[in-house]
Amino acid sequence: MAQSDSDDGMDEFMDKFKSQRYKNAFTENDWEEEFNKIPMFMKTAPEEIDPQKYPELACLQSIIHDEDRPPEEQARCLKDEGNAYFKEKNYEKAVVSYSAGLKKKCGDQELNAVLLTNRAAAHFYLGNMRSALNDAAAAKKIKPDHLKALIRGAQCCIELRNFPDALQWCDEGLKAHPTDKKLLELRATADKHKRAAERDARKAKVKEKKLHGQKEALLAAIKDRGVKLFQSMGPRQHGSEGEEEEEERSSAAIAQLSLDGLNSQEVTGAQVFLDDQGLLHWPVLFLYPEHQQSDFISAFCENNCFVDHLAVMFEELPPWDTDRKYLPQNLQLFFEDVEKEKFYQVDPETSLLRTLQHKRFFVKGGTPSFIVLVNGSSFWKQFLSGKKIHRL
Amino acid sequence: MLSDAEAAELLSFLTPTTRRDVKGRATEYILGLSGHRDGCRFLRSKPDVVSALLVLTSDPSIAIVKDCFHVLINLSADETLHQVLVDEVKVLPVLLKNLVDPDYVFSDQICTILSNLSRHEKTCRTVFKVLQEQLDVAQLVQIFCTEGYNQRAKLHYLGPLLSNLTQLPEARNYLLDPDRCVIQRLLPFTQYQASVVRRGGVIGTLRNCCFDHRHHEWLLSDAVDILPFLLLPLAGPEELSDEENEGLPVDLQYLPEDKKREEDPDVRKMLLETLLLLTATKAGRRTLKDKNVYPIMREFHRWEKDVHVAAACEKLVQVLIGDEPESGMENLMEVEIPEEVEEKLKEADAREQEELQKNQEELQKNQDKSGRTD
Repeated sequence: MAQSDSDDGMDEFMDKFKSQRYKNAFTENDWEEEFNKIPMFMKTAPEEIDPQKYPELACLQSIIHDEDRPPEEQARCLKDEGNAYFKEKNYEKAVVSYSAGLKKKCGDQELNAVLLTNRAAAHFYLGNMRSALNDAAAAKKIKPDHLKALIRGAQCCIELRNFPDALQWCDEGLKAHPTDKKLLELRATADKHKRAAERDARKAKVKEKKLHGQKEALLAAIKDRGVKLFQSMGPRQHGSEGEEEEEERSSAAIAQLSLDGLNSQEVTGAQVFLDDQGLLHWPVLFLYPEHQQSDFISAFCENNCFVDHLAVMFEELPPWDTDRKYLPQNLQLFFEDVEKEKFYQVDPETSLLRTLQHKRFFVKGGTPSFIVLVNGSSFWKQFLSGKKIHRL
Repeated sequence: MLSDAEAAELLSFLTPTTRRDVKGRATEYILGLSGHRDGCRFLRSKPDVVSALLVLTSDPSIAIVKDCFHVLINLSADETLHQVLVDEVKVLPVLLKNLVDPDYVFSDQICTILSNLSRHEKTCRTVFKVLQEQLDVAQLVQIFCTEGYNQRAKLHYLGPLLSNLTQLPEARNYLLDPDRCVIQRLLPFTQYQASVVRRGGVIGTLRNCCFDHRHHEWLLSDAVDILPFLLLPLAGPEELSDEENEGLPVDLQYLPEDKKREEDPDVRKMLLETLLLLTATKAGRRTLKDKNVYPIMREFHRWEKDVHVAAACEKLVQVLIGDEPESGMENLMEVEIPEEVEEKLKEADAREQEELQKNQEELQKNQDKSGRTD
């Protein structure tokens, strides 16, 4: 064995291994895991740095973020840290690093602009468009010609669908960088979308107008026929009303005709409509108070008579008609004048239109409703006793 | 006219240090001279008088500055004065410097002078050259397109200036630079209601830019999208079917019922000429056909009362609904026309113009007779 002449004890140290076993050596099973713990060899950084498990890493961290170093240096390091996270697509961590860098409030405005712009980018990829836009705007304030900030700002506006603002960002950018391809491209995109949005607004307006026209035609048709819609008109006036005042009230109700008066309270959402031939079709409710039942006709043409519908409805007697007595020829129809607390009998042979035109008929909730009773039945007797009835 | 001695005396009154009322009278007198042709021609022979006036545009008295500018405007309206103004008096650098100043009070007058000076090709070249040295066309466009750039001046006459400049291919190249956003900024002004001068200037500029068919594809592409801006002033409130609407460019869909067409017939004619230019190439024709330009022209033709404009419309419609030319002749600008045919076409054109003029006059006479206006 050759004698060495080193004086640092290295040779003695090395010699020891000839006789002693090296302790704490990596084994075949755990060497990969162990390697991963050494800062120089680790492939990925751990999420949290536990000083117990990763003492070396914790040491490095504290060196990097040493508070004694000048703020510019710290901020720069934090920027690099953020960029590293960004590259790994760990955008949340990137935001944290950039924010920490900005908190240093170092005097280097160029660096601050970059930190803000980079944070804007991180927010952008996280989908936080407003935060991204704010950061881009802040960067622009510090450095009005900062290209990346200008591009990012425009992109955020486009994502937020604020195309006029996007155009403004682009134009500001193009003042400083007139030939930048990205800005030119964004401007063309923003302009295109802005004009498409304007078209959509015009289209909506046209459709609304058409719809409005249709509604007006409908209301006019109802009014022309002298059909009255029930409007709650507030507290009643005291004293008896003369014929004239009554008429005034009715016409006031018509004058106030809004679609609210037509809104059907039925869950079906059926509404009166005007067909191609100029005929109105009403949703109609038939009530059977004897059995707490009802029937709903979604489109009763005004020219049809009640007998037509009743014949079909009661062709087969309904299951709730336990007495088997609701035969079409036995049925009597009434409508209620709520205001005057009176019931008017309806001739089933008349058309719906004629009935609706009755001077005391008010369509409530857009749906005319009629009470159906069986002539001569005990319920019929009971129901009609004590009430004001106007018979045919 | 003044004798040489009298002219020399006049010149002596035109210095900045002269008493204000004397200065004022002198400039007033010259303004009177510049109001008619002989006076202008006289001033042409006295460039130092004009130079003195140019200096006086910095005078503290607003009234004197105003008069000086009026003189310059009058002089610039006379083509024979251009060379003197530009080469000897050297008005351009001073004018351009003040134009860029957003607070300059007389910028509108400057625009008028520049517009006049750029009308004819020779001086236009010089104007362009000096312009490029001091600012550049892109900056001019920027100033023109920035609403409220100058609070005291409207700058509408930059429109005709641009239109005149684009008679030069060098100027057109600047506007048509695909790596910048220049011509795109002008497009919205085809519908600028507040000034027919601005509107007409912009449309004239666009028409000139369409002369070179090599740029057509780019102009019609999304990068510029010139077509809707040419069609909007010609489109009316007529309701088109849903199908026709959906095929139109986005900006022309679902126009409101109060949409008005361009009211100046000369501007309408320029728009149609520009559209016709864009049909020179096969691709251009394809684009215009695909974008439903025909229904717009159909409705326009129903509405148009001026015979000259209607004729221009008919020419366009013919191309839109006609068959494609045979192979070898797809680019209408490059088709070789044999000389005799060209002669005959010229004659036919001249006859057509006469016809149209006669028809217009007949129409006018009938209207005057019946005392009503349509």
